[in-house]
Amino acid sequence: MVMEVEEEEVIVTPGEILGKTTTFVPGRGAYAAPNKTIHASLCGRRSIISASPNSPDQKPTIEVTGHKAHGPIPEPGSIVLARVTKVMPKMASADIMCVGIRPKSVKEKFTGIIRQQDVRATEIDKVDMHLSFRPGDIVKALVLSLGDARAYYLSTAKNELGVVSAESLAGATMVPISLTELQCPLTGQIEQRKVATKAGEKQLTTGNQSST
Amino acid sequence: MEYVSPEGLRLDGRRPMEMRQIRAEIGAVGKADGSAVFEMGNTKVIAAVYGPREVQNRSQQINDKALVRCEYSMANFSTGDRMRKQKGDRRSTEISLVIRQTMEACILTHLMPRSQIDIFVQVLQADGGTRSACINAATLALADAGIPMCDLITSCSAGYLNSTPLLDLNYVEDSAGGADVTVGILAKSDKVTLLQMDAKLPMDIFENIMQLAVEGCKAIANYIREVLLENTKKLEHRRGV
Repeated sequence: MVMEVEEEEVIVTPGEILGKTTTFVPGRGAYAAPNKTIHASLCGRRSIISASPNSPDQKPTIEVTGHKAHGPIPEPGSIVLARVTKVMPKMASADIMCVGIRPKSVKEKFTGIIRQQDVRATEIDKVDMHLSFRPGDIVKALVLSLGDARAYYLSTAKNELGVVSAESLAGATMVPISLTELQCPLTGQIEQRKVATKAGEKQLTTGNQSST
Repeated sequence: MEYVSPEGLRLDGRRPMEMRQIRAEIGAVGKADGSAVFEMGNTKVIAAVYGPREVQNRSQQINDKALVRCEYSMANFSTGDRMRKQKGDRRSTEISLVIRQTMEACILTHLMPRSQIDIFVQVLQADGGTRSACINAATLALADAGIPMCDLITSCSAGYLNSTPLLDLNYVEDSAGGADVTVGILAKSDKVTLLQMDAKLPMDIFENIMQLAVEGCKAIANYIREVLLENTKKLEHRRGV
């Protein structure tokens, strides 16, 4: 869906009048005042996006793009990279570090929880958390929901989600040998994890593109 | 004591309706999300804004709005005598509350639920009108931090000495015992968000003084708008847009 964006040379400050609610819809960086005028709420460049064909009232959106970039925020349905901090019998705690298919690091700390039933898609009540994750593992997970006040709910219940990088007891980065096993290149020791496979990664990218 | 000479000049050589020279600088504090230095004559104030960020005290979290916190303090060296114990005294607490209520009126808090916005204002040099300078500096810092606001808030003070309305009092004129009216307005919408007065004034003279202060606020708003536009252009140029 290609939206036509008209970029202008006009820089606006908060409070400046951009138009009327009869002709435009206020977008990001703009708001509608009670007297039907649209004002800017940020300092930045004004741009007009023409209406999409399936919108009910066919009014273009007017918005202001500010210059301050805020860090990305995990949203339900986004793919995140997280580091496991605690593993408990029924769930694992992880600190979210990057958000998105092309990962961007977050500016603030976000915590996520992977529950026992969200680790994999099959036999979900027989999952052993200690054979799926260890503290320090980097996992790729999907955000299920905003969760409770303390943490996001994450899921690794797909082939392409799970542990992407882990350190063995000897201290070396382990190599994946199957969907549930990683091997240490120094000692040859095999450790159990819920592994993310590379083959599923292409599926992940195309899957995401078609949904947008 | 004579605060307005027979020729119509004040103690520092200004005319009664003349404001002190204003100067603003954006981005003075690198670590803060937004910051600004604002000078009105000899009064110099620095403001730093952090936010929106996660609420530090969970019990104060508001589910549908952002929490706005403000702290006003004066540096030890800001007045003639070196002061001790700046934070926590009654005047600082009162001014912190005043600035917080004023800024909260214009920040679109419903867009950032469960988050916190901290505004820290510190007076580096005090020569009257610190309250107004703090509000102006806070407006600039909030705009620099990219926090959505419904309008720019500017503030100015005016007084009445020797039967003459005076705009933008300095410390000597302020401590003369006459009335001191501080007004804060939303620049484009022309709405008053702050109105404070010391001492007493007859009603008609009060209306005059308030109108004078409002005009002062509008002049400051024009200047602040220019400073913000220039700053945005400079940032875009650096980013290569």
